[in-house]
Amino acid sequence: MSRVKTPNAILELRGEIKLDDYIVDIAWSTDATRLVAAGGEGKVFLCKYGESVLEARDVGQHGMGTLAVAWQPSGSVFASSGQDSRITLFDAEGGLLAQQRPSINWTTALAWSPDGKRLATATAKQISLWNPSLVLEHAFAPLASTVTALGWDKPGRDLAAAMNGGLVVHRIEPPRFQLRHYKWAAPCLTAAFSPSSRFLATGTQDGSVHFWHLSTGRDSQMRGYPGRVEIMSWSGDSRYLATAADEQVVLWDFSGKGPEGSRPLQLRGHTDRIECLAFQPGGNHLVTGGRDWRLSLWLPGKATTALDAQLTVSEPTCLRWSADGRFVAAGERNGRLSIYELVRIV
Amino acid sequence: MDRIPVTVLTGFLGSGKTTLLNRILSENHGKRIAVIENEFGEVGVDHQLVIGAEEEIFETNNGCICCTVRGDLLRILGQLLKRRDKFDYIIVETTGMADPGPVAQTFFLDDDFKQQFLLDAIVTLVDARHIEKHLDEMKEPGEQVAFADVILLNKTDLVGAAELERIERRVRAINGTARIFRTQNANVPIDRVLDVGAFDLQRALAVDGSFLEPQYPFEWAGVYQLPAGQHTLRTGADTHAHHHHDHGHDHDHGHHHEHHHDHDHDHGHHGHAHDQGLGLVVLPVAAATEQALASAIESAVRAFAEEPVGVDCGGSLKAGPVLHAIDVNHEGGHFVIDVAAAGAHAIFCEHAPAEFNLRVEGTTPVAQRAFASHHHDEEISSIGITDPRPLDPQKLNDWLSYLLKSRGADIFRMKGVISLKGESRRYVFHGVHMMFDGQLERPWATGATRQNTLVFIGRNLDRQELEAGFHSCLA
Repeated sequence: MSRVKTPNAILELRGEIKLDDYIVDIAWSTDATRLVAAGGEGKVFLCKYGESVLEARDVGQHGMGTLAVAWQPSGSVFASSGQDSRITLFDAEGGLLAQQRPSINWTTALAWSPDGKRLATATAKQISLWNPSLVLEHAFAPLASTVTALGWDKPGRDLAAAMNGGLVVHRIEPPRFQLRHYKWAAPCLTAAFSPSSRFLATGTQDGSVHFWHLSTGRDSQMRGYPGRVEIMSWSGDSRYLATAADEQVVLWDFSGKGPEGSRPLQLRGHTDRIECLAFQPGGNHLVTGGRDWRLSLWLPGKATTALDAQLTVSEPTCLRWSADGRFVAAGERNGRLSIYELVRIV
Repeated sequence: MDRIPVTVLTGFLGSGKTTLLNRILSENHGKRIAVIENEFGEVGVDHQLVIGAEEEIFETNNGCICCTVRGDLLRILGQLLKRRDKFDYIIVETTGMADPGPVAQTFFLDDDFKQQFLLDAIVTLVDARHIEKHLDEMKEPGEQVAFADVILLNKTDLVGAAELERIERRVRAINGTARIFRTQNANVPIDRVLDVGAFDLQRALAVDGSFLEPQYPFEWAGVYQLPAGQHTLRTGADTHAHHHHDHGHDHDHGHHHEHHHDHDHDHGHHGHAHDQGLGLVVLPVAAATEQALASAIESAVRAFAEEPVGVDCGGSLKAGPVLHAIDVNHEGGHFVIDVAAAGAHAIFCEHAPAEFNLRVEGTTPVAQRAFASHHHDEEISSIGITDPRPLDPQKLNDWLSYLLKSRGADIFRMKGVISLKGESRRYVFHGVHMMFDGQLERPWATGATRQNTLVFIGRNLDRQELEAGFHSCLA
């Protein structure tokens, strides 16, 4: 690939709509015609997108706040969860299919297995597995601490959970529910397998990124952050792990001998803390959103400055690519939901 | 953007936290308050946001207590940040048994949190009727009092005036800097508990002045005009109805108190345990006046530093620089004062004479004076240092770093306003365990006396060690 001299892609706004409160989470349907958004006030919005028109209606409610939404991969249902502890399953038109309430604690994380056959949920210390009809398949023994994030590996064999004290990985294939504990004495905030399934990474409250080589169990700590690392994303080719804890994007290069002992790639452009970031599925473009009310598009390793930047009307809170890597949905603190298309420039 | 102020509400079960919280929420103060409660059950009170939290302690660094934070708060605060335009104040209500340390430390943990939240004050409710028992039997109530910026001495209607005085003195001995309000039904003006600005460096150290007065090893002195001959000093009631003291207060200053519950503590008199007798010095002075009394203070302080001479009931007291430890564990004691030449004599007493009904038979003091004294018998206490001499910035930095590292676990709170050599501005700092925040603030007022004021609140604090450390920082 030749070195990029002029931007090879930009973001073009395709639609926007104003929802009620800050947008906590967004999920795309596999065909990128629908989105579901979690509202900070507790609502669940189903949005339809087509011909540059974005429509939304609220289809559900989770007490004082919706915390997570997840669309079934290659499927026609989606789930939401919130501070009322409930997990709700909807059809693609927003019709209520099923509801469960595991406890009174917040259900903070939802994660469909990549094949769409299982939904994993985290409610305080409790991880549960549900079938696509939201019938309980398995409730794991409660962990030692509240689960902050869930992440599947690409084959859908291992489910990682981040918590205070490290990551816990449940093996979902036979012998079932074998447990591995990747210990790290800090509150872990994220759980992200590399798409290659070779690495498992977490960001921590004490300002570091920690990762494990899954083949050997060897682990490494990457320090130098000014504060908690709660956002991270792997590039589609597993080369880069993008992270941020202030206005810089920090990328660790996992090619060759890996990032140990190396200096990370640092991308500068935001003027305030980065709140969200996401690598393009199957591609290498990265979008970031910052408290400077800006979305930036990057091509790490090829360009050190942003390819494009779009101004938002409040702080971006959530960024999600459509599965085909064509669209980015951006949620903001004032409730604005906007859709951008990645347009390549030849 | 302005930081969101946070009030942490602590207090033992039954101290009135919920009453205060309801009062705050129902009063028309124009604030939109988000409440993080210690129990689950999301209840919206009008326009208020109430969130249930389940206390989860995170140790972020090798289990050191200075690095423990509340994991549940981290998550909830993260959520609240995104809705910050929906409210303008946060109240965190802790469980009755909560250690306020991890709650406070949560707000210092992360640079972003420091920029977003402003810990306004730790407000501790104290149940006046039960606090003494609680302080004796458990470690949490003492910690809650020690951490406080504001203390509501609540349910004052359920105790007598003398008892209340005693309780307030005991609370004050633990925490020398908190503002104390006496309340019934937690009824206090809202501006006394919200927007207090206790962690605001610009408003730091609005300290009760009396706490920072020089402290003495005695609480009282009186001067008597005594003719030559033998005089009788009496203690206790003539009717022999005096309260009996138990011995056995086991207080080991050099040791970290893991077994607090094992302490045997008698509270017949202000919580003091007089297992070594009551300290008393009799000094001949030039005249029976306040001035003569004042000029004898220095000699008395020196005498109180000496090894005490135990005096049993019926024994005699020497007029001179001798520290007597008189036996007051006796129902109605009497002691002989031998006066060789008629003249004024000052008696310096470790505690206020009223506590023991101490008097010299046939006469009354011509002048007397009360002194602020150390309260050595609380495991948790406050130590204040004031000194006008400027400090060396590097030496101060070295000392504070050393203190944080070596004593961070025992020092719950520290605050200071410092006069640095060659610096026109005041250096102001505060700390919670090892979490520390300090900066140069507004200049010293022209003409005002520059003075260092430091306060430490903690467990097993050693005044001599702190003073020596302070002196090592003099420029």
